[in-house]
Amino acid sequence: MSKLFDILLLLLLISCALAVVRMKDLLAATIVFSGYSLVMCLLWVHRGAPDVAMTEAAVGAGVTTVLFLLAISRTARYERR
Amino acid sequence: MKRAAVIVLLVVVAIPLVLAMADLPPYGSPDSPAYTHVGAYYLEHGVEEAGAENIVTDVILNYRGFDTEGEVTVIFTAMAAVLAVLMASRGGGEAGTRPPLTPPSVVVRFVVRVMAPLTLMFAVYVIMNGHITPGGGFQGGTIVGAVFIALTLVLSERDATRLIPNRPERVLQAAAPIVYCLIGLLGLALFDVYLGYPRTEEMGLLRTAMLVTLEIGIGVGGATVIATIFRTMGSDQ
Repeated sequence: MSKLFDILLLLLLISCALAVVRMKDLLAATIVFSGYSLVMCLLWVHRGAPDVAMTEAAVGAGVTTVLFLLAISRTARYERR
Repeated sequence: MKRAAVIVLLVVVAIPLVLAMADLPPYGSPDSPAYTHVGAYYLEHGVEEAGAENIVTDVILNYRGFDTEGEVTVIFTAMAAVLAVLMASRGGGEAGTRPPLTPPSVVVRFVVRVMAPLTLMFAVYVIMNGHITPGGGFQGGTIVGAVFIALTLVLSERDATRLIPNRPERVLQAAAPIVYCLIGLLGLALFDVYLGYPRTEEMGLLRTAMLVTLEIGIGVGGATVIATIFRTMGSDQ
């Protein structure tokens, strides 16, 4: 059961990472990246590292997302080729 | 052609990586290097020798205190770099090119107002209990910074600047390195070692006080750094 949970989370993590790379809409990519951090945070908790999990949740899912959003609001929302 | 080359390259890199992974000790194995070298010593003696029930805090603030001091300095330097870049690009004609922000909805305002004091309380708990439960200055400070960001979105500009006034802000940004140096010098004065801590149980109170002071310094510094970066990136001038 625990292994299944890990595998599901890891699959979700990989798909989030791929989605972030492929997206052209940077706003959406930022939100998915925040989701990536959330999944990573769950994985940390599950692997017995609550200290790292808290950092991941606060910095990765929280503050980094806000800073990315600010950066987007000051530049452009869509990636140019 | 290029695509095929990339795929071949990826496979060539992946095969040795997967083979190397098979050699790693299984998860949680007591024979893994992580548990057989200093880790075992920390787990056995950490609580009585370093003074914090949370072994992670023991390692971060005591056994690996120098690394954390460097880390704290890195955070401060990173903020200084961000400020330098953003301030340098100021003053050109770019102000006003950004569309005005839409004011936050009633729902956002209500939720932030209700949650802010509770989140702040949790953050203080995380900082003050960093030596007992998971968490500490870095985590708690980031939560304080997040509360600040949420409040800035909701409050009027005048009230938001009053959350952290300019003058103390400049000092508080450096709170973490400053407090770290002071505690280090205290250790030097009392125990002849920079960042030295008392090792015995009799002086446990002093030791806990030093650890908690460090956590508070890191927390205040981290929160202010986040607030400053957010403020500088978000302001229009």
